[in-house]
Amino acid sequence: MKLSCLQENLNKGLGIIGRAVATRTTLPITQNVLISTDQSQLKLAATNLEIAISSWIGAKIENEGSITVPARIFTEFISSLPNDVISLNLKHHTLEIKCGRYEARINGLDAADFPPIPQVGDGFMTKILEEELKQAISQVAFAAATEESRPVLTGVQTEFEGSKLTLAAADGFRLAVHRSNLIEPVKDKVSMIIPAKAYHELHRLMSEPDQEIEITQNAQKSQVLFKLKNIEMVSQIIQGTFPNYSQLIPQTYGTKARIDVAEFQRAIKMASIFARDGSGIARVIVTPGATVEAGKITISARADEIGDNVGEIDALVDGEAAKIAFNARYLSDVLSVIKQAQVSLEVTTPSNPGVIRPVGVDNYDHVVMPMFVQW
Amino acid sequence: MPIKVLPPEVTSKIAAGEVIERPSSVAKELIENSLDAGAREIVIEAHNGGVSYLRVADNGCGLSAADVEVAVRRHATSKITKLDDLEHISTLGFRGEALPSISAVAEVEILTRDMGSSAATYLHLENGKIVSREKKSRPQGTSITVRHLFRSLPARLKFLKSSNTESSHIASLVSQYALAFPEVKFQLTIDGRNSLQTPGDGDLRTAVSAVYGLETAQKMLEVQGTDGFMYIQGLASPPSVQRSSRSYLSFFVNRRYVRNSILAKAVETAFEGLLMTGRHPVVILNVAIPPEEVDVNVHPSKLEVKFRNNSSVFTAALKVLRNTLAKSPLPGVRLESENADAQSLWERFPHASVALPSLQTLGQLSASYILAEGEGGLYLIDQHAAHERILFDQIMAQRARKQPDIQGMLEPLSIELSPSQEEVMKHYQGLLAEFGFTIEPFGSRTYLVRAVPAMLDGSNLVETVKELLDEIGAEQDAGQRELKAAQSLACHGAIRAGQQLNSQEMQNLIKQLEHTSQPRTCPHGRPTMIHLSSQQLKKEFGRTG
Repeated sequence: MKLSCLQENLNKGLGIIGRAVATRTTLPITQNVLISTDQSQLKLAATNLEIAISSWIGAKIENEGSITVPARIFTEFISSLPNDVISLNLKHHTLEIKCGRYEARINGLDAADFPPIPQVGDGFMTKILEEELKQAISQVAFAAATEESRPVLTGVQTEFEGSKLTLAAADGFRLAVHRSNLIEPVKDKVSMIIPAKAYHELHRLMSEPDQEIEITQNAQKSQVLFKLKNIEMVSQIIQGTFPNYSQLIPQTYGTKARIDVAEFQRAIKMASIFARDGSGIARVIVTPGATVEAGKITISARADEIGDNVGEIDALVDGEAAKIAFNARYLSDVLSVIKQAQVSLEVTTPSNPGVIRPVGVDNYDHVVMPMFVQW
Repeated sequence: MPIKVLPPEVTSKIAAGEVIERPSSVAKELIENSLDAGAREIVIEAHNGGVSYLRVADNGCGLSAADVEVAVRRHATSKITKLDDLEHISTLGFRGEALPSISAVAEVEILTRDMGSSAATYLHLENGKIVSREKKSRPQGTSITVRHLFRSLPARLKFLKSSNTESSHIASLVSQYALAFPEVKFQLTIDGRNSLQTPGDGDLRTAVSAVYGLETAQKMLEVQGTDGFMYIQGLASPPSVQRSSRSYLSFFVNRRYVRNSILAKAVETAFEGLLMTGRHPVVILNVAIPPEEVDVNVHPSKLEVKFRNNSSVFTAALKVLRNTLAKSPLPGVRLESENADAQSLWERFPHASVALPSLQTLGQLSASYILAEGEGGLYLIDQHAAHERILFDQIMAQRARKQPDIQGMLEPLSIELSPSQEEVMKHYQGLLAEFGFTIEPFGSRTYLVRAVPAMLDGSNLVETVKELLDEIGAEQDAGQRELKAAQSLACHGAIRAGQQLNSQEMQNLIKQLEHTSQPRTCPHGRPTMIHLSSQQLKKEFGRTG
């Protein structure tokens, strides 16, 4: 293998695949990156066996070939080189790197020993705008469970039906559901559970909102491929059945309050200063407006032997007065991913789930189970 | 005082005391008789912990009218005839003490029919004497009903625990026999509730599923092997399935349920390094061994056995278990190192209640310990133990003001309990509610968890509840029970060793630890931190003259 490319491109490519490099592993070669020539481009790939990321960069190929080299050393060396032309030259199993007056040699391992990057091609396929998917992931993936006792809950239920894509995640205490539009309708309804971790990585890789992303599931329904511009990511699909979440979204409410997101966030942040020494409880009291007075919400927290706080914000209240307590973290998590200026909080009783929805759009439901406290 | 020979009423009660200790011993004797009679189906029914009513019915071979009268006499048995037979006992019973012993301390009704008889014989015994005999109808087999156990022995009656405890003893006993005899259909009803039902299809795994739940049963590993004259067979849990008590170890020697320290030691050795300290596996081992290699006649209750050659039994069991475990997927192995030097170098704080010095975190060691600098040197803080202490204090504070912090579940979580866990659940539901659990029954032995204490972070709630029940059930002292429950919850809610913490999280943890009542020990009494003083450092580096 012999080729040359620009330091800037190679550095960027290594940054993209870097997150898929295994950190702690029993298979040492997965700590390497795969470097190979692919037609007139240089292909970089890494896998930790859960996800695999490949990236293509422009290069001038003189001789075809492939090798794997330790990711950390290679990446660190490349990133400290000046922005100039780099030439890569493979001699036996040693990769020779030259850039201006700097050079290095790194011993590699045979590319044939690298775990094969799964080929996904022959199954279900659809397309979505990057911007749409990026927002869906940011509003849903964080609600997935992080611990492994129920593996399906560590994933995001991903459903394609008609021209809709629905993402849903739940961790036992909260549920997030987001609906977005596909570029063209799909024939059959398809659903798969994609690890939240894989979505987090995909989210990181998205940088061009107007690009189309191609989503392909393999025929065995075990892997899914996301094709971005010059980047491909393959993830395992979690096997199992996702709980029927639609029945968990309350259909009615007793009280609905419209609140400014920024103010709500500030009040929650203050409450969590006191709440974090206890169990994280933020108490929310909704008071409807009277003829002269506007409606309001008070958010309070207290910590034994330390103190307490109360914050009050304006709200447009529909329905009766209500009291409900939430884990402050669950509220701040959801508020931080909402782009709209206002949200609505719907509650029925102190022991029924509360629902948070952005005002002005109808594509996101976030259900949070309350905490049961003495008032 | 002149010496007298005791009258038979007295001697029979003394002898009965050795065999019949509590209602579950009655159940044990009767179940063993049923099994010896070749029963394929055994129905056990208990009321009020088995004290007021206990009935064991089977479809075994039954007894003829003539035999049954003999059977109620002491040392009357069909199972052995001469001394030599004791060397090769293959039945569960043989002493001829069960029926007379039971009838000496309770009211007994026997209804039995063998194959040759046209009608069943009914005997009613009180204080060991037959008070009425009749002919009744019954299919082949025997039912024995025991009422008012220990009514004539008020002293023994007083020593019995609550009826719930006795019921749970019966439940765990029947569970053991169900595991030993998967080919026999067992049905246990406690206070009118169906507590255990095994299919009796001969498959140990389905029996385990009936007793410990389907999830555990599916994970169990097949144990099988021979060594010399022994044949060992059964199921063992992979290291990922762990329990907090040894009560999930079941040993059967020639299908007799026994407690045996040799086999327990073999299990412990086989699992060494695979489980955390204080954690135990689920193991069911059937040891088939020639009758002459084992002495079951150690104690009248026959729970103890003696092997002729302890070390070969130990080696064989260990070898077979290790072979099984070698095939199982390896978990993260945790080894404990006992470094003698470290002990002398580092000062521990076992039971001090002084406040902490103000500490500044330096970093995290092995993702398990927080390094902190404070007045007078370096402090190493065990993050799990420290967090355990913080949560424990929070739980106790919440209990003191009778306001647990509760987090509702979005979707109820269903858990499947073992019969003895269910008994604990029935009895201590109130206690669990005080800690913040909302748990409702949902069909036989399945429960729905609707809300949990807020300090649990949602990780593995099913295991948390099950272990909590085991801990509560194992604690006899009512005063200690709350403490045990609080400890168990604190332990499950606390961050684990191996979890990366950022510097703010560490600082926060130390700050919270400072506010606790006993910052230097965890609720189990282990130290939360050790201290290396500046003085010691100087000495170690040779800086002091």
